[in-house]
Amino acid sequence: MSRALLRSVLELRTPVTRLPPSFLLPMRSTPARFFNQTTQIIEPAQTADADAIHATLTAARQQLAKQQQQQQQQQPQSTPKKPRLPTEPSLPTPTGPVSESVRTLLPILAAQPGHYITIHIHGQPYLVTEGDSVRLPFKMPGVEPGDVLRLDCAAAIGSRDFTLQGAPYVDGRLFECRAIVTGTEAEPMRVLIKKKRRCRRKTHIRSKHKYTIMRISELKIRSDVSDL
Amino acid sequence: MTIRALTQVSTGRNGVGAFVLQCKKLEFHYCDWAGSSKGMNIFIKTLLPKFAAEHPQIEFNVSPRPAKHPVVTGHYINGRQKPICVRNLEPTAILQKVKLLRDASGEKLKRVHKPVTSINPSVRGVWSPYHGNGMAV
Repeated sequence: MSRALLRSVLELRTPVTRLPPSFLLPMRSTPARFFNQTTQIIEPAQTADADAIHATLTAARQQLAKQQQQQQQQQPQSTPKKPRLPTEPSLPTPTGPVSESVRTLLPILAAQPGHYITIHIHGQPYLVTEGDSVRLPFKMPGVEPGDVLRLDCAAAIGSRDFTLQGAPYVDGRLFECRAIVTGTEAEPMRVLIKKKRRCRRKTHIRSKHKYTIMRISELKIRSDVSDL
Repeated sequence: MTIRALTQVSTGRNGVGAFVLQCKKLEFHYCDWAGSSKGMNIFIKTLLPKFAAEHPQIEFNVSPRPAKHPVVTGHYINGRQKPICVRNLEPTAILQKVKLLRDASGEKLKRVHKPVTSINPSVRGVWSPYHGNGMAV
């Protein structure tokens, strides 16, 4: 005990310098620092309108294209990384005139009291009416509760007696459907037990998925299509 | 004669017309001494003022809770509460938990199999074999 104490005291008296002073150390070659330019993440505004989102997206895309051009000019041998911005969806935006049957029958469809719409989100159909709550099977990135989404990809619009079937989608100018994001929810924890035969070991695999909840706040069908 | 309660005339559908955030209050409990509150104390000093300024509709309550782990509790309009223990978490991780509490509806977590829930009557009515023109066999 006393010997150990003595040793520790001796060590304290003569502090052990494990490393020689810094000027005696060999020069460390500092690796060349690369300037990594990351793309700016642009989040939608609080009251995200479809037009506003589109405008910001296009602006961001233009800026990104400029940056990429500059980068390519500066370092032509390096391969530029793929941007993580969402790509613009290929929406059904026909600009031609609507057909004669739609011109005559859509006002009758719009005049009937109840309407339903089959909207497509990520290619998955959801048959909804106004005021319905939709629990998407995924967590939508970049949305907050209170954001308004314009849903313009519909496979069918209908009332009690009429249905306008799109091929594959209905003309986006004929209706206006909006949904408000009400929140994100989760499911109870899933536990999957993995077990092999003749082996006592068990693995518990836990997962908990998150879902975006939104409510269809508006569904309007144009009754006057004379200007299309 | 029995007394009859008033029947509910309408059901609230948040988002149709007005949207009200379901989280009404967030409580932050911290400890000045304990090491598990280190991240929480930094969060309260740095990230919380900005988050609170962005959400004027939520009441924020910060209070010490000595010798206990730090806890964030969300209070919801439906009367339920969600407490999350944030011991030893980084400030950014705590911000994720706070965002989770803000986005939650306050309901108990349930497994839902159908994506659309509706209280509207069916648009096209219920099919009946006794009505219409019938089918030629």
